[in-house]
Amino acid sequence: MKKILTLLFVIGLTGCSSMLAPMPKQSWPDTPPDLKIACDDLALLNEDTTKLSEALKVITANYSQYYTCKDKVDNWLEWYNTQQKIYNSVK
Amino acid sequence: MFSWIIEMILSGLPEWFWPAVAVSGVMIYLFAKLIGNFPTFKPYTFFIKPIGVLITIFGVFMFGGAGVTAIYQAQVDEMKAKIAKAEEESKTANTNLQTKIVTKTKVIHDRQVVIQDRIVKDAAIIDSECKLDPLAVKDLNSAAKNPLKVAK
Repeated sequence: MKKILTLLFVIGLTGCSSMLAPMPKQSWPDTPPDLKIACDDLALLNEDTTKLSEALKVITANYSQYYTCKDKVDNWLEWYNTQQKIYNSVK
Repeated sequence: MFSWIIEMILSGLPEWFWPAVAVSGVMIYLFAKLIGNFPTFKPYTFFIKPIGVLITIFGVFMFGGAGVTAIYQAQVDEMKAKIAKAEEESKTANTNLQTKIVTKTKVIHDRQVVIQDRIVKDAAIIDSECKLDPLAVKDLNSAAKNPLKVAK
């Protein structure tokens, strides 16, 4: 009788482990489309120019380019930190 | 597909079903033992007893599986709900960030437009007393070039 009960117990446990469905997995989110665009190169001066105003135009455009690119890096950091926090909250 | 159909059938069964199957297996076994006392039925018990044992084993197996599956399923459902909530939060965060990016890009662009306009307006004054030497242009362009691309 003991042997039969042990056998039934073992079979019951086997049933436990053989019918489990896989646990759903969390996917890592996609980035906003604007962050996927690479930064442009800096603009160059026309080599024939002798006007300071022309040079200033290019220089200010490059400053603008720098701030756009800096903002992109900051946004990447913000995106990553926020998403990581959300991702780690699921346990 | 096959496992999905099996799962659908099994999940539709009431909780008492598999214990009932196991108990009925025991009852079949005991019934076979009882009728084994009568010489007329004794030959049949050789077939009925193993069937009773098999039904009991199957019932216990399925009961064990169904019980744990129910607990596990509850955990899976809980996890799914958490993931759905996280995905919603993630989507909202992405939307907010995208809006912020557009706004900040516009601010940077607008600022540049204003300064460019100012330079155009003041060009005559700026250029009146200063002529740019070609060496300055060359140096500035060298500085503006990406050193990593130049090195290639």
